Amino acid sequence: MTGPTQPKPSAADSRSVRFRIARCDGPGKPTRWETFAVKIDRESAGANVISCLQHIAAHPVTVEGKRTTPVVWDSVCLEEVCGACTMVINGKVRQSCSALIDQIAPNDGDEVTLEPMSRFPVIRDLWVDRSRVFHNLKRVKAWVPIDGTYHLGSGPREPAKAQDTRYTLSTCMSCGCCLEACPQFTRQDDPAAWDTTFVGAHALSQARLFNMHETGKQLAGERLEALTGPGGVADCGNAQNCVKVCPKNIPLTESIAAMGRAATIHSVTRFFKK
Amino acid sequence: MDTQARKVSVLDRYDFLLRRLHSLTGIVPIGVFLIFHLLTNSSIGWGTLDKRNVERAGLGGHAGVAAFNHDVHFINDTLPFLIFIEITLWASIAFHSVYGFYIATTGRSNVKRYGYQGNWRYVLQRVSGYIGILFILYHVGTLRWGWTFLVPGGTRWSAEYAASTMALALRGSVENVTVAGVVVSLGYMLGVSMLVFHFANGLWTAAISWGLTVSAAAQKRWGYVCTALGVGLMLMAWSAVAAFATLDVDRAESTERNMQKGSLTERAGRP
Amino acid sequence: MSSHRVIVVGGGLAGLAASVRIAESGVPVDLFSVVPVKRSHSVCAQGGINACNEVARQQGYSEYEHFDETIYGGDFLADQHPALEMANWAPKIIDLLDRMGVPFNRTAEGFRDLRLFGGSLFKRTHFSGATTGQQLLYALDEQTRRYESEGKVTKYEFWEFLWPVIEDGRCVGIVAQDMRTMQIRAYRADAVVMATGGCGLVFGRSTNSTICTGAAAARCYQAGVWYGNPEMIQVHPTAIPGADKTRLMSESARGEGGRVWVPRKKGDTRKPREIPEAERYYFLEERYPAYGNIVPRDIATREIFSVCVNDGLGVYGENQVYLDLTHLPATTHHKLEGILEIYKKFAGEDPQHEPMRIFPSVHYSMGGLWTTFAKGSYNPPEPREKHKSGAAPPIDSRIGQGMQPGAIENARTNIEGLYAFGEVNFAYHGANRLGANALLSCIFDGLFCGVGVVNYLKSGTPSKSPHGTVSQSAYDRVVQQEERKARSIIDTVGKGGDDEAGNPYLIHRDLGNELTAACTVVKNGPRLEQCLARVGELKERYSRMKLADGATWTNQSFGFARAVGDMLVLADAIALASIQRRESRGAHYRTDYPNRDDANFMKSSVAKFDAAKRTTTVELVDLDASLIKPTARTYGKKDSATEQEKKSTPTAAMARASA
Repeated sequence: MTGPTQPKPSAADSRSVRFRIARCDGPGKPTRWETFAVKIDRESAGANVISCLQHIAAHPVTVEGKRTTPVVWDSVCLEEVCGACTMVINGKVRQSCSALIDQIAPNDGDEVTLEPMSRFPVIRDLWVDRSRVFHNLKRVKAWVPIDGTYHLGSGPREPAKAQDTRYTLSTCMSCGCCLEACPQFTRQDDPAAWDTTFVGAHALSQARLFNMHETGKQLAGERLEALTGPGGVADCGNAQNCVKVCPKNIPLTESIAAMGRAATIHSVTRFFKK
Repeated sequence: MDTQARKVSVLDRYDFLLRRLHSLTGIVPIGVFLIFHLLTNSSIGWGTLDKRNVERAGLGGHAGVAAFNHDVHFINDTLPFLIFIEITLWASIAFHSVYGFYIATTGRSNVKRYGYQGNWRYVLQRVSGYIGILFILYHVGTLRWGWTFLVPGGTRWSAEYAASTMALALRGSVENVTVAGVVVSLGYMLGVSMLVFHFANGLWTAAISWGLTVSAAAQKRWGYVCTALGVGLMLMAWSAVAAFATLDVDRAESTERNMQKGSLTERAGRP
Repeated sequence: MSSHRVIVVGGGLAGLAASVRIAESGVPVDLFSVVPVKRSHSVCAQGGINACNEVARQQGYSEYEHFDETIYGGDFLADQHPALEMANWAPKIIDLLDRMGVPFNRTAEGFRDLRLFGGSLFKRTHFSGATTGQQLLYALDEQTRRYESEGKVTKYEFWEFLWPVIEDGRCVGIVAQDMRTMQIRAYRADAVVMATGGCGLVFGRSTNSTICTGAAAARCYQAGVWYGNPEMIQVHPTAIPGADKTRLMSESARGEGGRVWVPRKKGDTRKPREIPEAERYYFLEERYPAYGNIVPRDIATREIFSVCVNDGLGVYGENQVYLDLTHLPATTHHKLEGILEIYKKFAGEDPQHEPMRIFPSVHYSMGGLWTTFAKGSYNPPEPREKHKSGAAPPIDSRIGQGMQPGAIENARTNIEGLYAFGEVNFAYHGANRLGANALLSCIFDGLFCGVGVVNYLKSGTPSKSPHGTVSQSAYDRVVQQEERKARSIIDTVGKGGDDEAGNPYLIHRDLGNELTAACTVVKNGPRLEQCLARVGELKERYSRMKLADGATWTNQSFGFARAVGDMLVLADAIALASIQRRESRGAHYRTDYPNRDDANFMKSSVAKFDAAKRTTTVELVDLDASLIKPTARTYGKKDSATEQEKKSTPTAAMARASA
């Protein structure tokens, strides 16, 4: 189906965009760079990094004319709600689906650099293993401890304003942008060390989300226990890059501060109570 | 969880406590001391505005020198539990710097890619910490521990001649500022700037870490307060260094001599 | 813990709801997903989830009316009993999700808010901003993570389902492949739940995610599982076309008051805001005074298609119409923020100030694996007439009236021990799915039919001969089959020259273009026959396929190429079932048979695969329509003669619609 065509002043005609891509065949293998040229024209209106990668997958030939393998990358929804296609584009972390070519490479001959995220082990090419992102959600028990799925009536009533705050926090898609840009969240390939290294802005924000919920609160103590442990909230260095790169505009630094406050109160009360 | 068997180091175990202690020591006592120290030092400049100092300096004396010396004497001679304060202070500085070094090793800067202002401050906080502690060691070493081989002109600082010996230590000679003197003066400028930045920025981040400023708006407001404080302290620090580096050493010394007599009579006059 | 195990394939809403329910009952679950479950396609659902609530009830709405709407909306092709049970269960599902912490939008007083959605005159759709699917998926993801950390659920993420292991007519496990290490291995289980979603990728660009190839369902199909109503593909009226996919603009945009229009003047070059009200053609509101912009999707799609293609009234002469939200207040924009952001990001214009330009796109497969159910207690002497909107319901909403709770037949395929939940289950939506019923059917399957799976372990064949007693050779055989298949694809690497015809990506592109052209909004016999022939040609090309990557580690293009083969099999079934259904019903519209033909075709199309000949046959299987009698499905459309004379005022239609 042909769709809406946007009037494009500069890019009416065909132009060529170069993609410089960091390739890696697998864990422990060296990184090499390959450059591909992709034609952008009226046919490819609305082209983004994904559609160009799809083109490269179908035609894996470098600018030097060398046949190579299709580039491997992670993607699912292509609407910036699943978080899968996160990579480092022109030096900055973001989702590749929303990286529109007209915006990032508006002129003929422009180059786009694609690299895998650096804070996670590379599986292949642009695909990284983000298990640690999900592991850290377990550390903060990011769930509501319901009794079970049997019918027990509705959940707690909630003011619209509180819902609005929770909704915003709850749009976190575990993409890892906040971690990639964080100077305190360093790469750690050994899962045994994950429990004692910085938990990351996303998990801190999720801890806040569930501490805000009437039933979720029941685990607040356990969450704060984790957050006052090694790699907890105090490991934040307040560079505040996280909030700048978050594609969902989640107020991560507010979440960090809120957890900082909760941790302060928690540790003081613990000192006097136990 | 599978990591329970893993040995947890002391640093890990007390991670939260140590980090909060680190934050706390930066404010009390170190930050508070810094404020008073800069107030005292800058009295070489603003002290001239106070009539009492003009009296203390006597005829032809330097009111700023009088103010500064007066404060130094107050600290050295009359402040109670000085040794206790000093021990606390040094212990705090030692802990704050050593643990600060450790914290710095846990992160990896990425300002090249993410050149946001906050990220630059993150880096500068660490850099200012490194330079700051070196400066403190030089500053105390040369003025208190007698590392005179590092002082241009080899001046030994003394509490009695606090202002003039300080000026000499910066200038390198009585007559004019030597090359070494310029280097040391600029070094002082840099050192104090770093410490003031470190303190002001640290005060800003501490409010987030402790959870005093939660909303972005509150963080911004507190940012203005910290900036104002930082600018104020910076002005005091720079004015002090500039004033000492350009001080008329002879006049300062004579002022100090006059004051010593005065203070002797003052003391002798006490019941 | 039970010595039984259950495998759930797919980590979207249906798969997670099933995992949680089954794990909760003490049976360990192995959860396989080709992506981390939190990234499943359910995340893309936007508008909401339907359920009667107290406010709607007091206005005259009922669970029964929800059921009636679902059947009417599906043009009487849905299984009526499961749909009734689902509607009755819906309020309980909302309550449960609420307890799990889903941030449903709230009223001023703090109750759950409702919005209007397609196919209903009552507000009965619960929502969480405009990313309801995301919020629901996350809630279930969190519960699954909780069970995972307690050791009750084991996740196999980045594992692709390859084939069901069927021994003596019962499913006893699966063979799957780790798409990182490329290891192929078998997993034993006493029951397998397929919750693998739809097959949008068969149509090339759709609103679906890159993982919605339908390959898992197609593999079950090739292993002997029947596939119901493959021709029933929903084309969503409002999507933003793109180079890589089309992006959904939720029905909630219209439910919240968005209006669809085109300039009355052909090829009008004025900017939308320069066109005065009188020169705008609000064609849905004019043609359907009662429902207006919230007619069901198949109808809206056909109208948009017709206005653009037949009348040539598309905006700027292109295939696009306006979806206008500019007149709505800021509070409404806030409620729709999630989708407005998507439009802003991908189309580069702010829909708060500029009307969006949209066009229909493939969105959902009503069809899927054919399933059974055990009838519940409601058994009227004869089917009832269509329910009058707002009238008192004939029955209350007690559970067990539609389907028998806990029955092991519920949502089971024709293979014992093999279940199909969610979009891959063909049962609920008939010929057209109502907006905000998809999330409901997914979770309902997981929670309600999940109990049947547990009961099957307790009282079915596994109670006597659990998976441990099945001979290893049954598993080895399938592993070998899949290894052979994999090798035959890998072996094509480097063979021959640069043959574009054998490029799997281009085969897929051509398949998508062909099916979109022949099997979506408007179909006709000759074109469908041509489509079937072209799919045959593509199959031939596929047999000469050449892969560009021979890697034995994380070979993504290999996985894609393998799925293309399965998509081609599904394409066959879709085209063939479309040919054989010589009528128009719901999403299936044939210009050569423009009317519904209940006498011959109020039946499910059931596709069966002949493994030996590798061919598809489609049978028409009778449908149990003992609850509601079919009526003409007009949604109060004014016929074209009267349309010219009395033009209804759009605002009146809107007022009625939001009553």
